[in-house]
Amino acid sequence: MSKMIDWTLVIIGEILVIIGAICDLLGAIGMLRFPNFFVRLHALTVGSIGGAFVPLIGVTLIALGSEFLDPYRWYVAGASFVAAIILLILSPAGSHAIARAAHKSKVAKVYPKVVDKLEEDREKGEIK
Amino acid sequence: MSIEIHVITVLTFVIPIFITSIILYTIRLLRGPTIPDMVIAVDALSYDMAVFLAVLSILFKSPILISCAIILMLWAYALDIYVAKYLEAKEFGE
Repeated sequence: MSKMIDWTLVIIGEILVIIGAICDLLGAIGMLRFPNFFVRLHALTVGSIGGAFVPLIGVTLIALGSEFLDPYRWYVAGASFVAAIILLILSPAGSHAIARAAHKSKVAKVYPKVVDKLEEDREKGEIK
Repeated sequence: MSIEIHVITVLTFVIPIFITSIILYTIRLLRGPTIPDMVIAVDALSYDMAVFLAVLSILFKSPILISCAIILMLWAYALDIYVAKYLEAKEFGE
């Protein structure tokens, strides 16, 4: 019975780690190929939530189920779970801060542009 | 087939994917035309390296490696906030 639970945890964790690696590769390709900064933020989100949060949860499950790590497996599981929760909270906050600063200070141009309502509102003086 | 052999086989196949994405993020970091591009490339690189350390700590059975991951994430967040404040106010404030 205990062996069964270990196998289940390990298989689910390995599936999560593989999904995270694929998301990470897609985020890296998007970061390299996308045309400007505000589109590259999408690749950053794929690479941070899909490519870092999901495999850290997978590492937690693998460490919980693998007996060969033994005096340290609770340590590895707890540290990677705390790292995943910190990542889930801090990564969107940081990317929103840098996006707002880049748009407000006009460092990154919105070059292949269809519509930019925020810039129109700033020119009309409705928001600062 | 024991759990150890299964885990080590799967993680060995996963590691080249992480190394490839680290190389691609580094190319964007070196080529990035503006400052925010470089900053988000460093962010993605830090998160990727944290996951890579967590995978390596299971693969090498050495739990010391995983204590670097949290510090890497906090460092990337501090870089975000610092550069954002510099871009908005053009000065390093308190």
